[in-house]
Amino acid sequence: MQHLAHMSAAQNAQAKTAVEVRGLSHVYAGREGAVPALSDIELDVPAGRFVVIVGPSGCGKTSLLMMLAGLRPPSSGTILCDGRPITKPDPARVGVVFQEASLYPWLTAVENVEFPLVLKHAPRAERRARAEAMLKLVGLDGFGTRYPHELSGGMKQRVSIARGLVQDPPVLLMDEPFAALDEQTRMTMGHELLRIWSQTAKTVVFITHSLTEAVYLADEVIVMSARPGRILDRIAIDLPRPRTYQMMATDLFGRLRERIWEQIRTSP
Amino acid sequence: MSRPSPRTVRRLIGLALLVLWEAIPRLGILPELFIPPLTKTLYVLWLDRAIYAAALLVTLYEVAVAMLIACGVGILVGAVVGGVASVRNLMLPVFSSLYAVPIVILYPVFTAWFGIGSESKIAFAGVYGFFPVMLSTAAGIRTIDEQYLLAARSMGANLPQLIGRVVIPASIPTVLAGLRLGGALTIIGVVVSEMLTSADGIGYLVTKNRTTLDSPRVFAAIVIILALSVVFDLAVRRIERRTLIWQTAGRRERPMAGGARGPVPAPSVA
Repeated sequence: MQHLAHMSAAQNAQAKTAVEVRGLSHVYAGREGAVPALSDIELDVPAGRFVVIVGPSGCGKTSLLMMLAGLRPPSSGTILCDGRPITKPDPARVGVVFQEASLYPWLTAVENVEFPLVLKHAPRAERRARAEAMLKLVGLDGFGTRYPHELSGGMKQRVSIARGLVQDPPVLLMDEPFAALDEQTRMTMGHELLRIWSQTAKTVVFITHSLTEAVYLADEVIVMSARPGRILDRIAIDLPRPRTYQMMATDLFGRLRERIWEQIRTSP
Repeated sequence: MSRPSPRTVRRLIGLALLVLWEAIPRLGILPELFIPPLTKTLYVLWLDRAIYAAALLVTLYEVAVAMLIACGVGILVGAVVGGVASVRNLMLPVFSSLYAVPIVILYPVFTAWFGIGSESKIAFAGVYGFFPVMLSTAAGIRTIDEQYLLAARSMGANLPQLIGRVVIPASIPTVLAGLRLGGALTIIGVVVSEMLTSADGIGYLVTKNRTTLDSPRVFAAIVIILALSVVFDLAVRRIERRTLIWQTAGRRERPMAGGARGPVPAPSVA
């Protein structure tokens, strides 16, 4: 296997801004007329940055992520990824990891990981090698022949991450990927994600409800308001990397967490 | 002494029933007209083997064609009803209600349309088996986890790929359950229609011999129908086991690996 990290680093160095969102608004047709879900979102995510989006339930975080993934068209505004507009799903540019385990139970772990390559009709040997390498990256070397029901919740999300990364997209979108896990597994998975991120140099846009998770993972936390979702604040997390569990007990960590909470709590 | 396995107990019960079948009429507990002894039944079955074999072939042919119709049309219609919301809203209530109708009352109509030969049996049994196949296919497709489809789209799947690689495999368990029920109903439909108005087939032999009070020959026909149903059930179970290997694979041999915490120990395989 070639060094993925180097390839990605080279790609990212060319395009300085991995994700650009311009004047994005979204209105959906509800039962009692039009409901504004997102309002005038402007967002620049520099390449290689780990950005976490937090906000109250129903603030349109998931809608925003769906649009970044090309799964839902916005009412207005544009999304650029790698300098080109996103109009439909493009797994070579944007990988997605969903909240619930969206692995296919009828496929083994390695078949799940190579699924995007199967859709592209990649040669069998090539896609298998690629999928095995991804499983190794996420710490599941040797678990390729297992079916999802034979894996724990954390292991399933590792497989999901491997699947999101299998086409080596510069951007990885994650929609509350660890929300269904227990607290300890969640912490471990956060730490693992940072390791994988540091090895692959991806741009990550991560959605979560957990403020601790947000501060622990992020370079920058984006705080959104309740519906219609707007960006209230962007908070740089200047904790050193690599992050350690001990940092959670520091004053800086607590102040950052507090500041995010204040924003969410006082938002109208 | 250890407790016998359920399988052993099942076999013992089956054996006991066979012994009772032989013993009850022989001991005069029930007249032979009600239950002819097992050996006598098997004996007439052997004597008339040419007749029974010919009738079985007719029945098998009717069952096979009716099953093809029930499963083929059932899966096709079920896929459309389950997959297309407007068709579903229009048709599903109708189909669900029709399923509750005792379709056997339509059989006289079928004989009027198709005659008393194999065609009316095939048509009737095909309709009879169609409903469970259609309804379970529709249910299987309608209840697919939305997340599966969303994930596939995010990975760049087009519509044929969505159908072939997600919708079909995801709905197979429910569809197979429908095929099992639909297939069994098809056998019932063929046999019942043969018993009602017919000149051939195993069901006809039941009716014919009953009118002459020839109990051993009635029971001989019943034995064949039982065997047919059991063979069908075993065949479907086998298909289910093969197709749904991912639901059970490794459950026995491979204990679930430990939690996700820390470095995961690699198993010796692969």
